[in-house]
Amino acid sequence: MSVELAAFTVGFASSLLSMPLVMKLMKKKRIVGIDMHKKNRPSIPEMGGVAVLIGLSASVLTVILLMPEKTRLMISFLSAALIAGTVGALDDLKPLNAKIKPLLTLFSGMPILLLGTYNPRGPIFPIIGQTRLTVIYPLMIVVALAVTSNAVNMMDPFNGTMSGTCTVITATLIISSLLLGRYDGVILSLCIFGPLIILYLFNRYPAKVFSGDVGSLSIGAALGAIAILGRLEIVAVVAFAPQIMNAFYGLSTIGRLYERREVPRPVTLLEDGKLMATSHPDAPLTLARMILARGPLHEREAARIFIIISIISGILAIFTAYLIKVTA
Amino acid sequence: MIRRIFDFTLILLFMWICMILGLWLINEVIVPLELPGINNRFITAILKVAASGGLALFWLWLWREIVKRMFWRALKKSQEESMKRTEDKKNKKFLKMSDEY
Repeated sequence: MSVELAAFTVGFASSLLSMPLVMKLMKKKRIVGIDMHKKNRPSIPEMGGVAVLIGLSASVLTVILLMPEKTRLMISFLSAALIAGTVGALDDLKPLNAKIKPLLTLFSGMPILLLGTYNPRGPIFPIIGQTRLTVIYPLMIVVALAVTSNAVNMMDPFNGTMSGTCTVITATLIISSLLLGRYDGVILSLCIFGPLIILYLFNRYPAKVFSGDVGSLSIGAALGAIAILGRLEIVAVVAFAPQIMNAFYGLSTIGRLYERREVPRPVTLLEDGKLMATSHPDAPLTLARMILARGPLHEREAARIFIIISIISGILAIFTAYLIKVTA
Repeated sequence: MIRRIFDFTLILLFMWICMILGLWLINEVIVPLELPGINNRFITAILKVAASGGLALFWLWLWREIVKRMFWRALKKSQEESMKRTEDKKNKKFLKMSDEY
């Protein structure tokens, strides 16, 4: 119990202390983004995800110090997040091509393969039970981390949506790990839970900081790594349903990988400060656009709906974990 | 707000139930299937994987179609409502002006 508490507390405290410093640095270096969904269009410091990576690293190092037998597991987890974070930082400083970025995130799964910290037999499904995908599974790991990191990166339309939904997913993974008795899942999730709470507190409406791609890609990769290392693959697929939905519909309407700058905006800002879904046929069908289809909403309300949807899919994910426990 | 959340809850529930049903179908029907006339284990395995993959693709297609229809219907309805509201406002203004006149 003391290791879990230490992992959470160190991550939480390190992110809390480093976030104001990161914000100050980004402001000083003029690394800022425009909040497009506010009428006065304020400049907000970018790359707040750096504070998440600092908290995550501190937390992982604490676990290694307290439990040296978990060193390989923790290093593969941290490396996955750091590789994706580096890709994100490169993109934040100099925008990468829409095709190159997902390709580079494929490398984030490599540490798990190289250190051999995954379950070699494959995922455990509800009803079916333990599969034997010994050949395909390693390839799936590489793809899975690229999918989770890019899916999380694509779902950051409003203040607090990415950080809030990822906090909900992490809480879901902690509960599911406890239910299934997967200790590694609990400890890994607790390492990122603290930094995510801090990011949410700073990023929620009205945002004081943006996570940047450094944050969204590293958080996505870390959550994907928890799913693989904690043997929670199917639970994570259900918990990630809103992110998968958002990415899948966006890609299927555009028909290719795209950058936000290349396509018509799916959401427009009205005179009264509310947001409205566009009826532009070429705009991607994102979750934000679907939520706003029933009429304009204030950004705070739209962001709240995102989190509620994530909680619902989290409940379904916990049901899935229960089904795995009962049937597999 | 509740209506919007309800829409997504239905979609998520549908997708989750379909996934569980699909897994049950694969486990109970596709995996134990004995294909008459095919004795080669490798070919049988490939056919079973293809059938399971087809089922997954059908699930994704169904999911996409439902969301697409739901989105365009909701957007059309909200646009019609906003147009009606604007017309009502105009009519009220006109009636007020004519009364004053």
